[in-house]
Amino acid sequence: MELFGVLVPTKEKLIATVTDIRKGKGGLPLYASLLGMVVGFYAIAAIFIQGHAHTINTNNLVPWGLQITTYIYFVLISTGCTFVNFFGYIFFPQQYKPFASRVIFLGIMTAAAAFFSLATEMGRIDRMYNFILSPNPSSPMFWMGVWYTCYFIAIVMEYINIQTNKHSNKVMWGAFFIAVITHSTLGSLLGAVSSRAYFYSALLPIYFLFIAFLTGGALTAIVAAITVRQQKMDAAYHLEPFVKFLRIGLGLALLVGFWRTAIGLAGHVDGSEVFALTAANSIIFGLGVALIVPFLMLRMSQSAGWLAFTGLFIMVTQLKTRNDLVVGGFKVPLFRVYDMPEVVHYTPSVYEILVLVASISLVSVLYIVCEKAGLFEIADSKGVH
Amino acid sequence: MEQFDGKDIMEIMQSDLVRALKKPRKERRWAMAIDLKKCIGCHACTTGCMSENLTPPEIHYRPVKEEEIGEFPNTGMRFLPRPCMQCDSPTCTPVCPVTATYKRDDGIVVIDYKKCIGCRYCIVACPYGARSADAGHYYTGDFHEKTYEVENSGEYGGNFKRKSHWHSPIGNARKCHFCIHRVEKGELTRCTTTCLGGATFFGDINDPQALITKLVSKPNVFKYKEELGTKPMVFYLT
Repeated sequence: MELFGVLVPTKEKLIATVTDIRKGKGGLPLYASLLGMVVGFYAIAAIFIQGHAHTINTNNLVPWGLQITTYIYFVLISTGCTFVNFFGYIFFPQQYKPFASRVIFLGIMTAAAAFFSLATEMGRIDRMYNFILSPNPSSPMFWMGVWYTCYFIAIVMEYINIQTNKHSNKVMWGAFFIAVITHSTLGSLLGAVSSRAYFYSALLPIYFLFIAFLTGGALTAIVAAITVRQQKMDAAYHLEPFVKFLRIGLGLALLVGFWRTAIGLAGHVDGSEVFALTAANSIIFGLGVALIVPFLMLRMSQSAGWLAFTGLFIMVTQLKTRNDLVVGGFKVPLFRVYDMPEVVHYTPSVYEILVLVASISLVSVLYIVCEKAGLFEIADSKGVH
Repeated sequence: MEQFDGKDIMEIMQSDLVRALKKPRKERRWAMAIDLKKCIGCHACTTGCMSENLTPPEIHYRPVKEEEIGEFPNTGMRFLPRPCMQCDSPTCTPVCPVTATYKRDDGIVVIDYKKCIGCRYCIVACPYGARSADAGHYYTGDFHEKTYEVENSGEYGGNFKRKSHWHSPIGNARKCHFCIHRVEKGELTRCTTTCLGGATFFGDINDPQALITKLVSKPNVFKYKEELGTKPMVFYLT
């Protein structure tokens, strides 16, 4: 199998792209992303060198913060990319095919970015080998590790097949089902925590899958809209699947988000007061701003520029919604002593924010460089469009 | 000194402990009882525990919850010490992805500091808030000399110095373990020995002659959040 020019850009094109970037022809998004990567990786290095005590604002009351939010956010986007690829090939093969390599490439990159964030959150990342040496099959986190590995292999295989123009339905279906299993397991990781009423729900694995479809759909819609503009493709024809995916994603997220909030508010178990504490934010922001507003935006226009903006709007609002979900579970302390507040407020540290910046920048830089180096043109040229 | 049937309770518990240690480990079941009527909220158990296990800031294996109760003029204070419940059906052990935390044959839920990856899932899963993450804070802040705080604590055989964030227990989850390092040497838990009100009782609940077994078999006993099905091994006497 050919590596250069198929799975990664050719050396010549890569050198030419880097030369262009050094000459200042990279474009603002690339330079902003490079700056983000430098600052973000400085923060990651600081976390490893200085330790959590000096860099991270999570504590015993809020054990999981922005780094876990970032992990969940990116891993769900990755899943969403796999879903878009699957449904794109099934329902819109001609319209979708020119974007397939980009979509799966983003799926791989976002999965990698998710791991970067997770690595900075773990207290002892150097002991991850214990997942193999000392596994605990009763832990959803253990299965998360197993399925995550399978998922990564599956989407890399899918990428190879797309880039070598040997697309296999078996691999595509396999990647889809592994994505469903992997990321519903991630939902169960939170959903199985009976001590936190805000998490404890059989709905959470389904919630994660629907949100994955929405956020993956948003990122791929941005990329598709930009590609359509750059390559002067027929926007109405090629963007139709992405608009439909976004509408379906918004509808599914609204359905599951509404019932999660409504059932939570109806609960009278220990800890369910969190739903009441966060009700205004959940309803106004989580359902209204984050789901209904973009739905209305899609009705206003479906031009490439507007679709990209709507996609970006969804991605930003969903990031806040993910953080609200993760941190919401810790709002009320389980056992309040000494100077613990009745309601816990958590503000991420600068380092935690920079880990998020690093993850976003990593995906952005790799995509833009590969795009400029013509990696996706190979698949495009073999496409049907 | 606190008496039970005319005998000093510390002496009774000490002889109970010696008797229990003669049995194979799997035949013992360590438990704790806390008499809430006797607890005076002095926090001697909390500070005793901190010095025994050299716990850093924000990590308290045995905090004491203080509550004001009643309406003026009929008011009072209520105290609820909270060690790890050493649940018979713990929620923290099944979620650990690397089996770093587990229940021993004698019922004590422990953490293998050499295995723990610091994912904090057990902290999220514990319904009692009895677990903490050691992020690497020191009471002495950024002072260079931290002689006391980096000493071996004695926990789990005393092999762990908090030298840097790459040395356990920094980066790990931490919790009360009923001072198992003391108990196995024939010493009572630190919180039992420091309790000013004589409110804390410790022993082998599988021993029908033990003081703790007699105390918890009375009707004035409750277990904290028992409805969760965790089967806690800490009994509160009212």
